[in-house]
Amino acid sequence: MSVEAGLIRALTGIVGRAGVVATLEGRLTYECDMHTFYKGIPDVVVLPESAEQAAAVVRLCRGAHVPIVPRGSGTGLIGGAMAPQGGVMVSMTRMNRILEVDIANRCATVEPGLINLWLSNATRERGYFFAPDPSSQMVSSIGGNVSTNAGGPHCLKYGITVNHILGLQMVTGAGEVVWVGGKAQDRPGYDLTGVMVGAEGTFGLVTAVMVRLLHLPEDVKTLLASFSTIEDASETVSAIIADGIVPAALEMLDEVMIRAIEEGIHAGYPKGASAVLLIELDGPRAEIEAQAVRIEKICRDHLALELRVAQNDAERALLWKGRKEAAGVIGRITPSWLLQDAVVPRSKLPQVMREMLAISARHRLVFANVFHAGDGNLHPIICYDDRVPGELDRAKQANEELLHACLQLGGSVTGEHGVGLDKAKNLPYQFADADLNFMARLRRVFDPDGIMNPGKLLPDHPACGEGFRPVAPTLPGGTWV
Amino acid sequence: MAVSAPALREALAAIVGGDCLVSDPALLAALAVDGVTPRWAARPGSVEEVSRLLALASAEGLHVIPRGSGSSLDCGMPPARVDLLLDCGRLSAILEHSPEDMVATVQAGLSLAALGAALGRHRQRFPVDPVGGASRSIGGVLATSATGPLRFRHGGGRDLLLGLRFVQADGTSTWGGSKVVKSVTGYDVPKLLVGSFGTLGVIVEATIRLHAMPPASGAWLLSFASHASAAAFVAGVLDSTLQPERMVVLNGPALKAAARPQARAAVAISVGSSAEAVESQGGDLRRLGAGLGATVSAIPDDFWLELGAVLAGPVRLRLAGEPSKLCFWLAEMEHLAGEASVSVSALGEAGSGAVRAALGRAALDGGWLLRAVASLREGLSAEGGYLVVERAPREVKDEVDVWGPISPDSLEIMKRIKRQFDPSGILSPGRFVGGL
Repeated sequence: MSVEAGLIRALTGIVGRAGVVATLEGRLTYECDMHTFYKGIPDVVVLPESAEQAAAVVRLCRGAHVPIVPRGSGTGLIGGAMAPQGGVMVSMTRMNRILEVDIANRCATVEPGLINLWLSNATRERGYFFAPDPSSQMVSSIGGNVSTNAGGPHCLKYGITVNHILGLQMVTGAGEVVWVGGKAQDRPGYDLTGVMVGAEGTFGLVTAVMVRLLHLPEDVKTLLASFSTIEDASETVSAIIADGIVPAALEMLDEVMIRAIEEGIHAGYPKGASAVLLIELDGPRAEIEAQAVRIEKICRDHLALELRVAQNDAERALLWKGRKEAAGVIGRITPSWLLQDAVVPRSKLPQVMREMLAISARHRLVFANVFHAGDGNLHPIICYDDRVPGELDRAKQANEELLHACLQLGGSVTGEHGVGLDKAKNLPYQFADADLNFMARLRRVFDPDGIMNPGKLLPDHPACGEGFRPVAPTLPGGTWV
Repeated sequence: MAVSAPALREALAAIVGGDCLVSDPALLAALAVDGVTPRWAARPGSVEEVSRLLALASAEGLHVIPRGSGSSLDCGMPPARVDLLLDCGRLSAILEHSPEDMVATVQAGLSLAALGAALGRHRQRFPVDPVGGASRSIGGVLATSATGPLRFRHGGGRDLLLGLRFVQADGTSTWGGSKVVKSVTGYDVPKLLVGSFGTLGVIVEATIRLHAMPPASGAWLLSFASHASAAAFVAGVLDSTLQPERMVVLNGPALKAAARPQARAAVAISVGSSAEAVESQGGDLRRLGAGLGATVSAIPDDFWLELGAVLAGPVRLRLAGEPSKLCFWLAEMEHLAGEASVSVSALGEAGSGAVRAALGRAALDGGWLLRAVASLREGLSAEGGYLVVERAPREVKDEVDVWGPISPDSLEIMKRIKRQFDPSGILSPGRFVGGL
């Protein structure tokens, strides 16, 4: 349903003229998230400055039966923060304050538009940090992290966003303003905080978040191991975990990715290696020293070509540089690409990597890999050239085949990026009708009229597939994976 | 009710088999919940049987209470009636254990002890250890969101649960989550079931994340002359780079129940890591304690298993305010109890700030308990805290809301959830918060 001039006037009355973007060129900025495959221009964008304003916006839209699309920084990878049916986009970027840092209770309360890294920057001096670290953390917002239940390299040890959220304030699709959770833990009642995290804006607008802060570790140790085959690297990952070590991060890069990184930013990764593992340990010094010794042995037992240990912060930053900027350099080897986020049981990594090689050969496509090996969360980048007739179709087919391979091995559709518009169609591969029906009914509890981010997260929504026209799928340079 | 009692009995027996349906009044009396004897108790042997039982219950309007080991059935408001006690004890299989993935899928009736024994062979564990809870079932532990000392390092069942199969009130078998250690596909339905006390569905299977047993461990008891010193120690550890596995605060009577030397308060703490790290962290912890006047003694591995005695008694409370106020609320409770010579044996989880306390029988005299609950709730509510009466005689429950008040906004959403998934109100009706 399109937005009428009267509604825009009413919205302006709520958020002020500076909080409304109604021009076409202004709205175009908001037509997609980082998954530019999916485009949909909102009819108007509003930028509230308070929960009260956000609630007034929701109530107004609910009365007018106009869909609402919440948006944080727009760095999502799933076609979540875009408006397939038009409607009102609510951007939370003006609500970006730290409301409280409470060291005694190891928590902080922030507005949803606060940039993830800013919180750790604000608490680091006092010895604390916010653990969820999606690769986009220097630009993504905590509200967006909450909505997608974002992960990151270090969630292998620390868990994903939901493990770090003590409470939140939400304006539900019914227009209620509700605070759930808080500093006192284990409150009686249903775990509303737990289900609201990861709802991708389909329950309501997150207007404040209370997060857990963790004490910085005593020490950090970063190792880089290279291997001549991806199987050796995959088996090393399994062996490390089976040894009972939970590294803070355990990342893998394959040959295609290593080459692109070396050509792009010269991170100093070993030439000729088919796979690199980046292993980070953190914690009490004595603990990680002992673990590092065991990891070095495991790597050598699995025929590591080379093993490097960063000796200082500068060397550590260099080892990470390649990983963090991986997606940014992929443009050197391909004009367009598709990105997977499926998960497999860790022990199935060698098998899925073999399967991936077969799929890539079958479709005559190059796959580049840079992913969270420690928790089996794949991020294969399927390279294609959309100027070559038929190549996009082959890439899409390869993408589907790989997803099915992961699910057949007991995996999951998405490990950390979320579902959005992109993967809603894949949920029936993982869930039975009864499971999806349960989720659809849960959604209705929070959003009885179906105005919150329609078409996202669940398949077969009446709105799914309407109102947007897919354009050539591609991810822009500088995407974080 | 459309069907006569004998016909219902027959229908239930047809589902689980006559041997697995209890209808003998004497046996049923022993299964009473808050003094309410169930009409029948059924012991289904499969998820399909649970589905058929609930479908029948739904059609006939039977009130159902799911049961694991039965240890926490006295937590909640008394039921108006119990038509069917659904005992998950036969669902006790380990369906899958992939040691290399550190993931297991188990049936809900499996006990923590049986799971622990099976995992121990691979030097792994499911680090959820409610005190005195070895015989508790996985389903019950999740349904009641029970936690124990290991939560300090590893989180609670909520954090370690990857996927869940449960049967809805109408008998629909439903799965939520995944079987891998990282997934954000769809809503986090398992979290909704954790701590829902059998009011949204019957948990039948869980896929859980496991951890490795540490290669070495050490544990110490630090005894302090005051709550303030214990609190300072806890704060010192929390504000450091030390990473213990467990850290719990015990008051004087709790130390007595645990057969430990007397002190005003003590902190029991353990480190699980490499031998070098255990030694180094242990040294740091002992030094921090000594600086605050603590007497330090090593404690054996079985110390943690024997803590159940600390929380034995006719009345048990669970309360929490701000985590940093743990020792304050412990002292506050002792102060109230001291005025009426009521014994309080308490265990506090450092980190989360949750305190569990067993009160002696004197708490039931002259309405003291009701006044104490009201007074503590008033203070706790000022900082967003709560108090739950986890166990109490029926006559107390008739006088007090054991859950305490819930914020009206949240309760309204909880009521909508309950209506959505149990519209005819057959699953533990009236037992949970706000009359859910």
